[in-house]
Amino acid sequence: MRIVAPSSGTYYHIESLEAPRYAEVFDVVTTPEELGAVLTPDDCLFVPCRTPAQRMIAQKELVAGHLAAGGTVVATGESRSDLWLPGIAFTSVPTNWWWWLDPEADLGNRISAPGHPLVRDMDKAHITWHLHGWFALPGGATVLAEDAEGRAIFYEDRVTTPGQMIITSLDPMFHHGSHFMPAATLFLDRFLPNLKAYLNG
Amino acid sequence: MSVLYIQSAYEAPPKPVRAASEDGRLAVVRQEDLTLEALGSATGLITHNQLDQNAFLTLKPHLEDFMDRGGRWFFNGHIVRPLLEGLGLYLPMEKPAFADFRQTRLAAHPIFEGIEIAHLETNKGVAGFYGRGANPMPDGAVAVTELRRGTVPVDWVWPRPKGGRFFSHAGNDLGQFGIEQGLPPLLHSRIIDWAAGGACL
Repeated sequence: MRIVAPSSGTYYHIESLEAPRYAEVFDVVTTPEELGAVLTPDDCLFVPCRTPAQRMIAQKELVAGHLAAGGTVVATGESRSDLWLPGIAFTSVPTNWWWWLDPEADLGNRISAPGHPLVRDMDKAHITWHLHGWFALPGGATVLAEDAEGRAIFYEDRVTTPGQMIITSLDPMFHHGSHFMPAATLFLDRFLPNLKAYLNG
Repeated sequence: MSVLYIQSAYEAPPKPVRAASEDGRLAVVRQEDLTLEALGSATGLITHNQLDQNAFLTLKPHLEDFMDRGGRWFFNGHIVRPLLEGLGLYLPMEKPAFADFRQTRLAAHPIFEGIEIAHLETNKGVAGFYGRGANPMPDGAVAVTELRRGTVPVDWVWPRPKGGRFFSHAGNDLGQFGIEQGLPPLLHSRIIDWAAGGACL
């Protein structure tokens, strides 16, 4: 299965999608506006974090059609996926970026489904940098990771549409592409191969 | 005088930018709505971290013309596309430590006049937001702020030989720093003044 990633041309998208570390993961890097000419139902649409939401809102019908045809969508955080994907119930939380200054502190994010192939060999170290918000899930969806209060921050939804949605509020590409949070790079180092294997498995 | 704030993000611009727009000091233009006519009559540009550099690269001849006419461009973020002749691509610091984020002021600049450097180095005690590397300085550029004991030019001004001035801030948007000291309105105001042709080096 091809992974098709719409780049919004931000420095962190270009660094994350095109630099050698992950370039081979993405079969097609295009733009949100060109998806209509590129995306097929056999593809996985991978929307990188911090995509300016208006770019995907304009593709809402196309994305709905992709899911209706059985396609796969991965949507990472801070891109307002609630505005362009069906069935997303998102609650944002104020970002506490200084939580770790207390040596005793624990952001509290944890893997909920350690046996799931999408989070294989991942633990809290792979998902701990910031918390941006949580999701209320439809019945039948699978929580992959949760915050300290047990609220979903990463999940798989195979029930809302004929396709599948893999959704997270984590924003790894912004931080990796900013050369900022090593944990965000750890996340991508594991999740992207896991995703590739899962899609082709 | 015509300063354009190029809004690439979904979210509205910061409050001081909106206020400046209401006061007529600048015009907020969505990046996708930027016309060659508007760029052709602008004298100042302010771009932020979510700039679509792929889209902007297609405007390169017009951006060169803008600069040749004496334009001022305040650039926030990492340069990952050669948007103007003479610009190089962002270089992150290798393995930065906390001490590497200490800033050294190498040249006085009106944007920073009277602002304590310590107020820009950290947010709530966390360093690294201001910048984690540098856009390479073109020939003739003047370093304003450096990291890593004065070796990494995170801020510089380029009085371009063919005309115009380019201010590079290679980090999160400069206007958002010094939150605890209430600096964002002052910083935004000074960035706008500079882009409008105000005092420079």
